[in-house]
Amino acid sequence: MGFLAPWFLIGLATLGIPVFVHLLRRHVVTPRPVSSLMFFERGTQSSTRHKRLRYLALFTLRFLLLLLVVLAFADPFIRRFTNDTRSSLLLIVVDRSFSMRAGTRFSDAKQKALSLLAFKPHSQRAQILALGGQVEVLTQPSPDSNLLRTTLEGIEVGDGQGNLGDLGRSVRTLKDATPGAVDLHLFSDMQRTGMPGNFADAVLPPQVNLALHDVTKASILPNWTVESINAPAELQDPKDTTKSHVQAVIAGLSTTEATKKVSFLVDGKILLSRELKVPANGRATVDFAPIDVKYGFNRCEVRIEGDDALPADNGSVFVVRRSDPQRVLFVHRSADERSALYFGTALNAASHGALVLQSVAVEQVTDLDPSKFAFTVLSDVTALPSIFEHALEQYLSKGGSVFMALGLDAGRRTHIPLWGGDLQKVSNFASSGESAAVGQVDFTYPGLEQTQPSRDNGGWAGTKFLYAVIVDPFHARVAARLSDGTPLLLEKPIGEGHLLLFASGFENLTNDLPLHPVFVSFVDKTSRYLSGSEQLSGMRMVDSFVQLRNAAEAGNSVVTTSEVIDPDGHRPLSLADSQKVQTFRLSRSGFYQIHFANGRSAVIGVNPDRRESNLEPISKEVRALWTGGNAGADEIEKLPVAGTKYHYVSLWWYVMLLAFVVAVMETVFSSRYLGTQREEL
Amino acid sequence: MQRFLDPAVLAGISSLDLIAKTVVDGFVSGLHRSPDFGFSQEFAEYRAYVQGDDLRHVDWNLFARTERCYLKRYEGETNSQLVVLLDASNSMQYGSQKPVKADYARYLAASLFYLAIRNQHDAAGLIVFDDEVREYVPPSTRQGQLTRLLSALEQAEPRSRTDFFKPLTHFQALLHRRGIVIVISDFYEDPETIVRALEVLRFRGNDVVLFHVLDPQELRPELKGPAILVDLESQQKIEVVPEYVASRYREKLQTHIEQLQTRTQAAGLEYQLLPTDQPLDTVLREYLSLRQEER
Repeated sequence: MGFLAPWFLIGLATLGIPVFVHLLRRHVVTPRPVSSLMFFERGTQSSTRHKRLRYLALFTLRFLLLLLVVLAFADPFIRRFTNDTRSSLLLIVVDRSFSMRAGTRFSDAKQKALSLLAFKPHSQRAQILALGGQVEVLTQPSPDSNLLRTTLEGIEVGDGQGNLGDLGRSVRTLKDATPGAVDLHLFSDMQRTGMPGNFADAVLPPQVNLALHDVTKASILPNWTVESINAPAELQDPKDTTKSHVQAVIAGLSTTEATKKVSFLVDGKILLSRELKVPANGRATVDFAPIDVKYGFNRCEVRIEGDDALPADNGSVFVVRRSDPQRVLFVHRSADERSALYFGTALNAASHGALVLQSVAVEQVTDLDPSKFAFTVLSDVTALPSIFEHALEQYLSKGGSVFMALGLDAGRRTHIPLWGGDLQKVSNFASSGESAAVGQVDFTYPGLEQTQPSRDNGGWAGTKFLYAVIVDPFHARVAARLSDGTPLLLEKPIGEGHLLLFASGFENLTNDLPLHPVFVSFVDKTSRYLSGSEQLSGMRMVDSFVQLRNAAEAGNSVVTTSEVIDPDGHRPLSLADSQKVQTFRLSRSGFYQIHFANGRSAVIGVNPDRRESNLEPISKEVRALWTGGNAGADEIEKLPVAGTKYHYVSLWWYVMLLAFVVAVMETVFSSRYLGTQREEL
Repeated sequence: MQRFLDPAVLAGISSLDLIAKTVVDGFVSGLHRSPDFGFSQEFAEYRAYVQGDDLRHVDWNLFARTERCYLKRYEGETNSQLVVLLDASNSMQYGSQKPVKADYARYLAASLFYLAIRNQHDAAGLIVFDDEVREYVPPSTRQGQLTRLLSALEQAEPRSRTDFFKPLTHFQALLHRRGIVIVISDFYEDPETIVRALEVLRFRGNDVVLFHVLDPQELRPELKGPAILVDLESQQKIEVVPEYVASRYREKLQTHIEQLQTRTQAAGLEYQLLPTDQPLDTVLREYLSLRQEER
């Protein structure tokens, strides 16, 4: 009901009653005539004026009483923020992914976010998130506009890949901890590649209202990028063109056919240049060979000359480390010549001479220093000279790697050197005339890594195992198991090093693995993993992690220090962090210098995820599906108004309560007043 | 018959003539005695002639017999002169009940005229005044004098305000003979002023009587609450409280009356307070008795 309601207007008319009673009646009072005022004096106490004041007070009370009752008829209300709005969280998400470097996208996004923040109701809480390689929660929910504005202004564009699936997961987590509604405003270039393959990952929970703020000025922008680089991380002979070459794939995204000049730079100097024709929306491959690089770490880059929509992705950096071939110590029983043969052959085939196998019988290892080798292989030797075993323990603790195979000889002993546990029993499948196959393979393990394993279990399905030892897998990672569940490949970190245990032999007696092609791949990846050469150079992707030390030995009393120098020459790790941090996220593109806890040093080229180079935005249909039809939120000024929710708090009860109080006062006052009757003439 | 002398009853009679006749015929007895020696038939004494005496009073018979010149003096009821000075100011129209003071004063004057002319065969006159002399009927014993006087009383409606000094000169000019001067008023004036204005008449040999007419509400006012009072003469308004009226006002009025009595007695004037609820015969009786004692 409002102020034009009939009941209100009728009630308004009743306000004339006290006016008539008090004001009009007061005017008809007739003075009393007397013959002469000669003997009268003006009264000062209880005078008519005093009485009139009491009249006015009574009149005021009565008028106020009627006014309040009339006002109650109008059902007055005040407009207040709804509890939902007051408790609703304004979630501002700014995309700081690599693609936001295109044009003025990032500055536009910040400006729009600041504008939104300026229109935020004072009492509303807000929280700021940054979407980059990961979703960063920059503030806690707070109504403090200054804090929020400062945080927003402090956001810098990054090199990570914005994944809207990660955003969806983060918002779901936040929503679990935040009661009430959430108004999510995403300021982004809405890259199509940012949408996860599974749309369900990006779906936001209920009570989250998503508003998209697209900062792209044109729907399609042509962009060329170095999509991929195939270059050796290590190089022993620059003249060996089978390895000494760099192959780069140049991709055109939303482009027309163009001829682009591509250069190969080493330490900032152009070493080779090529011109190639890149088809429209196509790819072209360019080779640079041979690559004549110096010993040590060479900071290389393949760069597309010229400008486009996203110049930052026109180059791709990587590191080529030139070194002499490394030796691998292969310790075997003197009676076992087959193991070294099979393993050495596979190693040569895989490493192309980067690793050279040095085969030594166990009786001859006493004086050998394992630290001079890339890694050590113990092939079915369980009885090591104590000096060598101790040397191996020291070697492991300082970051060395040992690959141990347990064959027929191990079955005759219960002690397993270096492992920290005894052999439990032996599975001799041959005695029953059967064999075991590899049943479970962890393809994420570096020694078995396969991106898309074939249907035959990545090549492992055809292998037959006749004999295997069973060890306690306590504190060890089981990377592969036989079909009966026997752990086949186990890794246990010891100190800063790795001890890899293969529960069978390499002699082609206990199994036929050496005869299968997967053995070469297995030896190749395992040797690269154990030698650590993969970590020392090459290229990584932004937001990938580098392991600085082993996790299991983090609490070791022996203090080891790692160090990271980022592309700007800064040390992102504090002194305390450098002594305990196990992994480091490569958050920037460029060259990182890393000194591992095991004493090794590396230089790594880090590049943004090339999905960021595709500037094609999300289709309108997908946006509408994601936002639930709330995609049109480009006008910042209208957002707070549209998003502001009010509810109307009725004052009826308060008015009536006040009217009651006034009525009581009027009763008391009038009873006192009526105690003294007015003189009627 | 007594009830017809109640002022409230008299107020219901429209004719002043009838009112006066009712009052006088019913209750008034006695006569006015002239303050001077007259020349009626009752012999009093002889007095030797001195130069300047009126020769008409010489007893020529005695002069013929004795050749001495004597004047004859007579004692007896003589024709007196009554003049009523009637206050017709606005204050006289006040009255908490009938009759109001002005009417009561007219009844009183009419009764006196009737008594003087019809019963005593005296000359009677009237002066109506407020702050000026508004009406003057010369004293006379001629036929129709009573009618003229009553007519003048009928027309004496209250107006203006009272002022004794301004019409005083006219009083002196109009009153050639000595006689009885009756002043009827509410005397809302300083007693000293009133006496100074009227004692001149006394000096000229008149018997001056002041009839102080007041309403009972003026003598004993009652106020239940604060009220606004308006002066009928000046139209001035003031607010008064009951506490004052019940105490200080009565004290002041009583002091005023007492001062009037004291001052008039000191000046040889007669004073009589007449509340308007007091019967007229009582007033006249008391007055005539008072006159008789003075003789």
